[in-house]
Amino acid sequence: MTTTATTTADTAQGADRAPVVSFRQVSKSYGAVRAVADLDLELYPGETVALLGPNGAGKSSTLDLLLGLRTADAGRVTLFGTTPQRAIEQGKVGAMLQSGGLMEGVKVKELVKLARDLHPRGRPLDEVLAAAGLTDIADRMVDKLSGGQEQRVRFALATAGAGELIVLDEPTTGMDVSARQTFWGAMRRQAEQGRTVLFATHYLEEADAIADRVIVLHRGRVLADGTAAEIKARAGARRIAFDLEEPIDREALLGLPSLTSLEVSGRTVRIQSQDADATVHALYGLGCYPHHLEVSGLGLEQAFIALTTASDARTATAEEAAR
Amino acid sequence: MTTLIKLEIVRSLRNKKFMFFSVIYPPVLYLIIAGGADSKPIPGMRLNMGLYFMVSMAAFGAMTAVLLGNSERIAKERENGWVRQLRLTALPGRGYVAAKMAAAATVSLPSILLVLLVGAVVKGVRLEAWQWLAIAVGTWLGSFVFAALGVAIGYLATGDAVRPLSMLCYFGLAFLGGLWMPLTFLPQWAQNVAEWLPTHAYAALGTAVEAGGAPHGKDIAILVGYLLVFAGGAAWLYRKDTRKA
Repeated sequence: MTTTATTTADTAQGADRAPVVSFRQVSKSYGAVRAVADLDLELYPGETVALLGPNGAGKSSTLDLLLGLRTADAGRVTLFGTTPQRAIEQGKVGAMLQSGGLMEGVKVKELVKLARDLHPRGRPLDEVLAAAGLTDIADRMVDKLSGGQEQRVRFALATAGAGELIVLDEPTTGMDVSARQTFWGAMRRQAEQGRTVLFATHYLEEADAIADRVIVLHRGRVLADGTAAEIKARAGARRIAFDLEEPIDREALLGLPSLTSLEVSGRTVRIQSQDADATVHALYGLGCYPHHLEVSGLGLEQAFIALTTASDARTATAEEAAR
Repeated sequence: MTTLIKLEIVRSLRNKKFMFFSVIYPPVLYLIIAGGADSKPIPGMRLNMGLYFMVSMAAFGAMTAVLLGNSERIAKERENGWVRQLRLTALPGRGYVAAKMAAAATVSLPSILLVLLVGAVVKGVRLEAWQWLAIAVGTWLGSFVFAALGVAIGYLATGDAVRPLSMLCYFGLAFLGGLWMPLTFLPQWAQNVAEWLPTHAYAALGTAVEAGGAPHGKDIAILVGYLLVFAGGAAWLYRKDTRKA
């Protein structure tokens, strides 16, 4: 998972290559709602990046700005060193929108052929259909497809040309588990061909499984940026669970080093810790004797919740202090 | 671009309801309206019912294809996000509108020809070869005025508002422009209004040819004027929509 990572910390690796995507202090508001706030972001060639965040985090707005479908209130968005519109006209970008409607009254293969014909460097039709898993339903009418099949058609539209950047907004929405697995395979193959892949998702599993870089967005800002493993580490990566003889001294447990959360239910204690070794060591130091001790990695999901709630708590505290 | 135009035409041809209205309906309506008409000239005009309605129904049919087809399709595709998706291709923005107009014009042509054919075969209309050609070409070219109006409506209205709005324009213009009955049957005030409507000028192109002359300069000027207004409006609305989408 961490082997191919090119995070912003690795600028030594990124510096010799021009960024594919660059956001400089970009902001976008809708009325009073600040969807994107002073966003700075750079993507480098060959990266597979997940844009992760709950609904309303600013993922779709960020992608709209990136694709030039909306104009930023402030700041600058560049793709391949030029404007999004120019980059799209040059056929460097393929995109699959969450709300992207499809042309009705045509067959799947006709629509995909249209996309490849419109692209300055269209790929062979059979290849595009096969890569998106559409060969079997190529003759079906677009209006008669299931949600998951429609998503595959959108994917085919995004990959119909030999673009260098592929942008996918929540691509696996409406797919069942096995369809999702197959789809991830298709996404990975795009990345293996050297394309930069950026996808927005709220399926944390998806980010964990395919992305070599995860950017967590929250309230229009970058909350965390790194490999999935780093994100987990930042949020208190380890979960420690054990049983204790009663009575349990909560105060003493709260004083454990590296502890980020404590939960006691009956005799069972659950702890999240930044440094499991230190925490467990200190636990013995308290004179406790934990039974059934388990130390496990935190899923990205919990890491994500930990990160966003921590951020919200900070914001709330700051707002209270300001009052 | 050619793929898009071809595909737009293919889907128009597949849409049976749309094909019925734009191709079959005008000649059928022509037979119904002018069915019992005799060969006496219409009061105040030099043409009889058969001749008059052949041109007005050809105009009406072309208008159906380009106005109703364009407005509803564009509004719908704007809403469901297809226009957004198209903007992510290398297709220039105007390409979409151009393809829509080209496809509509392709569908309107058979409708025009079918009305003329029914006129010749069923109603026994006899004209010189140049007159047939002039009427067909004039009616077809004139339909672009209404195609532009259709595009403008498609970018102006959304959802439930499109159909009432396009229907209002469609029936209002058809009726007041004298496509359904000769204007001489209407009160004077209506005739005064009609004279300046694009539909009246549109039908007048053909009736002037039927009467043995060239289309009047005034009618052509009116049509060109409306074309500029509708196309300009459509372009403005399109740009506004692009910024918003």
